[in-house]
Amino acid sequence: MPKEILVDPSQVLRPGRVETPALPVHAYARTMAAEVAARGAPALIEALRHMLVIREFEGMLAAFKAQGAYRGIAYAYRGPAHLSIGQEGAAVGSALALDPADHIYGSHRSHGEFLAKGLGAVARLPEARLDAILAAHDGGRLRDRVAAALGRAGRALAEDFLLFGFLAEIFMKSNGFNGGMGGSMHAFFAPFGCYPNNAIVGASAGIAAGAALRRRLAKDGAITVAHAGDGATGCGPVWEAMNFAAMGQYGRLWQDGGGRGLPVLFFFTNNFYAMGGQTSGETMGWERLSRIGAGVSPTALHAETVDGTNPLAVADAVARKRALLLAGEGPVLLDVECYRLCGHSTTDANAYRTRDEIRLWEEADPIRRFAATLESAGVLGAGALDDMQQEVALRIEAVTRAAVDPALAPPVDLAGDPTRIGRLMFSHRETTLPPAPAPGVADPAASAALRAIARKARAGRGADGAELPALRAITLRDALAESILHHMIHDDRLVAWGEECREWGGAFGVYRGFSDILPHHRLFNAPISEAAIVAAAVGHAMEGGRSLVELMYADFIGRAGDEIFNQMAKWQAMSAGALSLPVVLRASVGSKYGAQHSQDWTGLITHIPGLKVIYPATPYDAKGLMAAALASEDPVVVFESQRLYDKVETHRPEGVPADYYRLPFGVPDVKRAGGDLTILTIGPSLYPALAAAAELAVAGIEAEVIDARTLVPFDYRPVLESVAKTGRFLAVTEASERGSFAQTAAATVARHGFAHLRAAPRVIGAQNWIVPGADMEATYFPQAHDIADAVMADFFPERRANRRGLRDWDDLALARAGL
Amino acid sequence: MPPDPTPDPTPVLVPQLGTEIAEAEVTEWLRADGDTVAAGDPIVSITTTKMALELEAPVSGRLRIRTPEGEIAAVGAILAEIG
Repeated sequence: MPKEILVDPSQVLRPGRVETPALPVHAYARTMAAEVAARGAPALIEALRHMLVIREFEGMLAAFKAQGAYRGIAYAYRGPAHLSIGQEGAAVGSALALDPADHIYGSHRSHGEFLAKGLGAVARLPEARLDAILAAHDGGRLRDRVAAALGRAGRALAEDFLLFGFLAEIFMKSNGFNGGMGGSMHAFFAPFGCYPNNAIVGASAGIAAGAALRRRLAKDGAITVAHAGDGATGCGPVWEAMNFAAMGQYGRLWQDGGGRGLPVLFFFTNNFYAMGGQTSGETMGWERLSRIGAGVSPTALHAETVDGTNPLAVADAVARKRALLLAGEGPVLLDVECYRLCGHSTTDANAYRTRDEIRLWEEADPIRRFAATLESAGVLGAGALDDMQQEVALRIEAVTRAAVDPALAPPVDLAGDPTRIGRLMFSHRETTLPPAPAPGVADPAASAALRAIARKARAGRGADGAELPALRAITLRDALAESILHHMIHDDRLVAWGEECREWGGAFGVYRGFSDILPHHRLFNAPISEAAIVAAAVGHAMEGGRSLVELMYADFIGRAGDEIFNQMAKWQAMSAGALSLPVVLRASVGSKYGAQHSQDWTGLITHIPGLKVIYPATPYDAKGLMAAALASEDPVVVFESQRLYDKVETHRPEGVPADYYRLPFGVPDVKRAGGDLTILTIGPSLYPALAAAAELAVAGIEAEVIDARTLVPFDYRPVLESVAKTGRFLAVTEASERGSFAQTAAATVARHGFAHLRAAPRVIGAQNWIVPGADMEATYFPQAHDIADAVMADFFPERRANRRGLRDWDDLALARAGL
Repeated sequence: MPPDPTPDPTPVLVPQLGTEIAEAEVTEWLRADGDTVAAGDPIVSITTTKMALELEAPVSGRLRIRTPEGEIAAVGAILAEIG
């Protein structure tokens, strides 16, 4: 809703036609003589050799999967082998045109792209830089082991290092590039520009778009490449990513000098099959993949269909697209047609294609074709291809022999170190903020909305002890805003986006006034693309940025499910700690709007390993924990209750400090002391629990109310200490009870506090049915009387109190009915 | 009787902004006290707990600010007069 862009009916409603550019198809027409003149014969022979290396490498994996042996080496490889035999021209052609500083993001079938990019970096990086990279990785240990085992030096050692590190990773050995935590479909080696492969189809599109955002803002003169197959064009998140990279605002609103789009190449390796579904003609409507560019931007993403069986046609196209990206004309798309001569995997019986078709494409085998072209151009002598194949086979054999040797590539020792993988989930590191404000941010005093916050009382109670209205005292919303603003002002690596985040200030106004002082490239409105919002946050963080993204309602987590659960949560561990993911995902939990706008999904998020989770309920906690989240090098999901945005600080008489501070993750906070029972609350449940505690006190029962504040991590000691004192434990949550964090807490307290418990722990959550509308909500979210009922019935039955709530039902009968 | 040369000024009131809103803060005066404003000009930005919005001058005339920036006013209270 930027006011700079007028929606003028006299312009909008004028008759006209939408024109889309004509998209070139197989337009490559350079002569071989021109290629030899431009590139030199050695570079062309090297490209052929790289194709041979990839073919032999994947042939080795195929042999292990099919026969359990390769060139006399027996090995039981149990992991995936999604091979790209027949697609080497696309991978090597692309790498020919990329700079070592460019970053590729792979797919599940990216061995070839990884090797081509890595071999390109080995061939082109200055030798001193190569040496430094090899010395820096794992303290030089991998380099030393490879050098000792394979006996080479210089660039040859770097090539062995690449092949061994990658193969050991595919075999998930401890000294693979990612410590054995990634494997075939998740391998990466950032120093060579090989960013993660990704087992989720199309997932790299959004991550590479976010990576490109960081590269644009860092002005580092390099591009990112999102690798995907033709089948990925059926994935919504891929479309979201292409649009995210092509948004109109880059050219029309941003003042960062970065041009009209993000510098990302969407590189579709189009092998005509999405596993067994045929894209053109069966599962997709585009007929030509490149057509989809026309649906995204007026430039049609500069899309072209390119012959992927010819590495030089691919190199030519990638070089031209790369120049467009560096000129700020991105994003761009290439439809690179080629053919997977092997099966999708070793269980592929080719039920979906004919032998005749495969034979036709064997005639178009990129290696056979390219070698013949080089021979007829006089670049490759007679018999040279055989010699190269022999040399490459011996090289791969030597590397393989080393990688299957447990002395050289030891398995991950989980018996000796059972929690090793667990320790890779989080770094628990935090960043420090530069003391000086970042450039380009105006003085907050320039914003009337921010001046309004500055005028407010810090404490939530006036001199007479009465609670102040939200307009007169710092609210939870203001407290969040203060921490976020502090980070935005002091750290220009931090970029915030989400729907309605800019002028509107977010749907619930946390960023109100921010657009007065922050430029577009620090705070921008995202499209309604939750998948791209989160995926881009992940990519932006992988490349050295820090990401703050918002999902308007927590209910929209489902729209970003893969991005949160598989990408944001897992990359730190899958990289064995090489990657940091400073991503803060804000999700507000609704109220009053019924089933699809009011559900508390903390149970879902806390179930997924790899995400820190906070749910503050008071302004003081919100400010300190938001600061901790923004400082965290680990990904954090922040739940915010819409019912609490207007809460003022009533627990701390001194109110919310005006200065910046951080609170530690994982420390629950006693909000009310008592000796008769312990109530652990999650998020807004704090307030009905406190109201229930006040009621219970009238009956002479003193509840200790502990606000969880953080769900992951969580230190149980304060809770167990309380239970040791009270002997009774109740957890209250607004999440549906089944599978909730409250149930986890109750089970943990039952186990570790058993000796002190006088009654079974109890959980009161929302029911295992839909959130009803506003007028029925009080029957759904636990109310003070529900809490008091449960306390009296479960912990003090001898008092025979009247029940006031509705929850007089048989939980076991409900469970049998699926409730 | 000749017409009154100085008709009663037109008040600018805090509008009713939804059933849950009782008051609003004057966040920023976009025009200064004493300015001549035209009907439809945005003159003041106000903020409730739910939203921020700009109010327009209901009539043309000279602006007399009655509630300064930073004050909180109830729904129906006079923010300014234009006459």
